Amino acid sequence: MQDSSPLSFTIVITGAPYSCQAPQSALSFAQAALRAGHRIDRVFLYGDGVHLASALASPPSDEPHWPREWSAFLNEHDIPGVACIASALRRGLVDEGEQKRFELPASNLLPPFTIAGLGEWVEGRMMSSRTVYFHGSD
Amino acid sequence: MSTLILIDQPPYGGWTGREALDMAFSLAAFDQPVSLLFCGAGVNWLRKGQEPGQVRQKSVEKNLSAATIFGVEALLADSDDCNRYGLEAAQLLSGVELVRADAQLFAGYSHTAFAG
Repeated sequence: MQDSSPLSFTIVITGAPYSCQAPQSALSFAQAALRAGHRIDRVFLYGDGVHLASALASPPSDEPHWPREWSAFLNEHDIPGVACIASALRRGLVDEGEQKRFELPASNLLPPFTIAGLGEWVEGRMMSSRTVYFHGSD
Repeated sequence: MSTLILIDQPPYGGWTGREALDMAFSLAAFDQPVSLLFCGAGVNWLRKGQEPGQVRQKSVEKNLSAATIFGVEALLADSDDCNRYGLEAAQLLSGVELVRADAQLFAGYSHTAFAG
């Protein structure tokens, strides 16, 4: 049975790449959703999920590079990717603005990901027809 | 659209519980109806008189006590799980409502979410 009416999704990822499968499962879901004619409003990284937005992840060359695969997917489909600022700062994920604010030696946020508050998640839940969570193994 | 945020992990050993609290407070700040349900080992968040200073963490007792002031509709705890962890009503933070975490409870909410 197929429902033909298109849906919109906010995707929340709370598991880190290379610790769990959450970012990979979320990407497969997002690709399948678009193929089926649905829309992704926004991707929100929370908790350990913020590690997906690291520009410094350097997995071995014969392994998938999940941050880059996600980045390419977001760019290709013009989908906003947002990392929760509280989660990100605690875990050492910073953009240039936060680097200056906290006088840190570097920034490492992979475009097109941006850093913002939980309000982005709240707003996503309100505008999307579904909010889907991809968690780690805890 | 009413949301139930579930906390099923014990305090201090991981960060997901604290991040779940932040989610609830954030929804409340945006005037979105939200309640918290503590179940499994998560009921230990509600124990009175926690002193996590020795493990260099902050107690969330004050935050939880103030939750309803900040707009969280209810702090719910699964009564069976409280029994399992030897938590009697008198040992719980004030304002906690004992419930049975079953399908009937979840049916009262349009969304449920975990922090991780």
